[in-house]
Amino acid sequence: MELTLDRVTKRFGPKIAVDRVSTVLTPGVYGLLGANGAGKTTLMRMICGVLRPTSGEVRCDGVPISRRGDGYRALLGYLPQDFGYYPEFTALDFMEYMGALKGLSRRDARDRSLALLERVGLKGEERRRIRTFSGGMRQRLGIAQAMLNDPEVLVLDEPTAGLDPKERVRFRNLISGFSQDKIVLLSTHIVSDVEHIADEILMMRAGSVVLAGAPGELVAEAQGKVWEAVVPAVRAEALESGLCASNVRYLDGGSALVRYVADAPEVEGSRPVAPTLEDLYLYVFRSESPAARFEGRAGSHFKEARHG
Amino acid sequence: MARLMWFELKKMLTRRVALAANIGVAVFLIGIMTLNVVQNRQSNSDGQIVSGMEAIAQARSEDEAHAGPITAERAAADIAAYQERVFSRIDRDAVLTMTGSAVYDLMFQNFSDEEVYELYNPYWSMLLRPWRATGEEPTQTAARVTPEMAAGWYGAVSALTQDALDDGQAGMWEYTDAERAYWTEKQAGVAEPIAYGYVGGWGNIIDCAAFLVFAILAVCVTLAPTFSFEYQSGADAVVLATRRGRSTLVTAKVVAALAYATVYFLLCASVIVGFSLVFYGADGFGLSIQSIALSSPYPLTAGQAALITVGLMYAACLGFVCLTLAMSSRTPSTLAVFLTDVVLVLLTGLVPSGGIGVLERALALFPLNFANFNMLFAAFESYPLGPVVFDLIGMVVAVYAVLVVAATPVAAISFRRRQVA
Repeated sequence: MELTLDRVTKRFGPKIAVDRVSTVLTPGVYGLLGANGAGKTTLMRMICGVLRPTSGEVRCDGVPISRRGDGYRALLGYLPQDFGYYPEFTALDFMEYMGALKGLSRRDARDRSLALLERVGLKGEERRRIRTFSGGMRQRLGIAQAMLNDPEVLVLDEPTAGLDPKERVRFRNLISGFSQDKIVLLSTHIVSDVEHIADEILMMRAGSVVLAGAPGELVAEAQGKVWEAVVPAVRAEALESGLCASNVRYLDGGSALVRYVADAPEVEGSRPVAPTLEDLYLYVFRSESPAARFEGRAGSHFKEARHG
Repeated sequence: MARLMWFELKKMLTRRVALAANIGVAVFLIGIMTLNVVQNRQSNSDGQIVSGMEAIAQARSEDEAHAGPITAERAAADIAAYQERVFSRIDRDAVLTMTGSAVYDLMFQNFSDEEVYELYNPYWSMLLRPWRATGEEPTQTAARVTPEMAAGWYGAVSALTQDALDDGQAGMWEYTDAERAYWTEKQAGVAEPIAYGYVGGWGNIIDCAAFLVFAILAVCVTLAPTFSFEYQSGADAVVLATRRGRSTLVTAKVVAALAYATVYFLLCASVIVGFSLVFYGADGFGLSIQSIALSSPYPLTAGQAALITVGLMYAACLGFVCLTLAMSSRTPSTLAVFLTDVVLVLLTGLVPSGGIGVLERALALFPLNFANFNMLFAAFESYPLGPVVFDLIGMVVAVYAVLVVAATPVAAISFRRRQVA
């Protein structure tokens, strides 16, 4: 299974939401990181075939997905952002309805629905109407429906939105167990959601993939650019707004430990520390220029072809 | 497919608004038909007003008193008998110079209440209809009818059609030669002798068929969110990314919508038909439509006319189902879809034609306008399309069939091509 994005572009009027993104996705977990408005959702919609690219195409094993039609969608599992539901349906109704839409037999749909609802922590809630569910429960139901047909390509847009920490851990374990020989693409702006489970990270900014690679490799790119300094507590707030600070921790004795990303130390007494993916994310998204610096360092799957 | 249809029906009918509309309209129809029976009023031979089943029985006995085929000989004999009876006590020439109300008073001065009641039996009005001038009492009409005129009763009935064509709906419409030929030929098909009698149940169905617009509205309320709710709620992204989301699902939605509309319409129609036939009686199915209105040019029975009226409402219902689906597939606003339906189904019944023939014909195609006896069977509404002429019945069928055929693909294609932006 290979999913190829070939110069995929989407324009909404004069605005370019996705700008000539090219990449090849093979089985593995891909974390799509980016700020709100970076183009993640639009890109995912085009991958799922619910939004037609303005130019470029998405191919599944070399065949454009528009040509594969139902055949491609049979391989697909999709959780959209702001996942829509039918308020009067019970969780089981909804799962069985999705089973019917995905072409499962009645028995398969029932069995898999019950198993998945249990795996996402909704056992015992099968007969409850969805309108009575909390946001987190709805999100878990959305994750369950996306996995109902055991998809070869699983696309999850902000799957952890509304989940509490325990549910996030459960979700990560679920994805890790599921992703064998499958393409899993999940978007988030919460770095820790993908840090431990993604085989590859794609960072999007202004419609383009500006950085791609394995988390370890990418984190190494931020080596020597993350700093910590102990400063008087009264200065911490001012420094936080002036620097690209990833963390401020107030210490006993009127001081504070400020962690920030910068090309060079900007506070007296700063010492370099080991970077994390979150630090890299902040570094990439702190301004225009640093991102451009990384453009030539895309990972093995990343074939950016911007500006011709 | 069957499972998807089942889920689509569940989606439609579990919405509270849809549930309220469906139950509300069914209860309303039962209520209105109960009132239709209970509030039925009729004066009896003693001059008293009776209501309910007693009034229905009264009407039945009036019609049954003269039931039977009206041959030319019988028509002439009955007219002569009527004239003899009336003019044995009042001056034939004098009534021609009097006003209608003066003649009415004169009848009561010269006949007992019971006799007046019999002389005002609708049968006499029908017999004298070919020569009746507007606002005239039957007695006045009878005063002008000669034995020769009465002997040519069927010729006079045929002349009603020609008079109507010459009148051109009070100058509103000039009939083409093709239309005149169409109506003349249709009238010539009316079987002789006309079978006269009590058609209460079937007549009442025609009178009450317009209430079915509320069933159509309930169907529109239920179906307005069929596609638009998917867009509004964001569920479209989920369903369109599934294997059957762009193919079988669309078919399932359309078939489920048509199946639901059919069942619900049948339910509502059965309330109207059931109440009418149970309380007014099912007899008279085979009697001529001319028992209801002599000027009707249609060679139909009363039962056929009732079924045609209900059938046309069903055709309109299906047309509005498909139109609603098409609009729903084009907009995320359920309210906009429903309001459009309300305007087309209800408000068109309030728009006056202003004496403009073309507008009258356009308005006649909407259910609240065509669902009455006069418009459908006696108003000579015709649509000349070159050499081909459609009457209102044919035109309603054609328009709603075209609506079904055109709107359904619009709904299907719009949803299949939906882009989730």
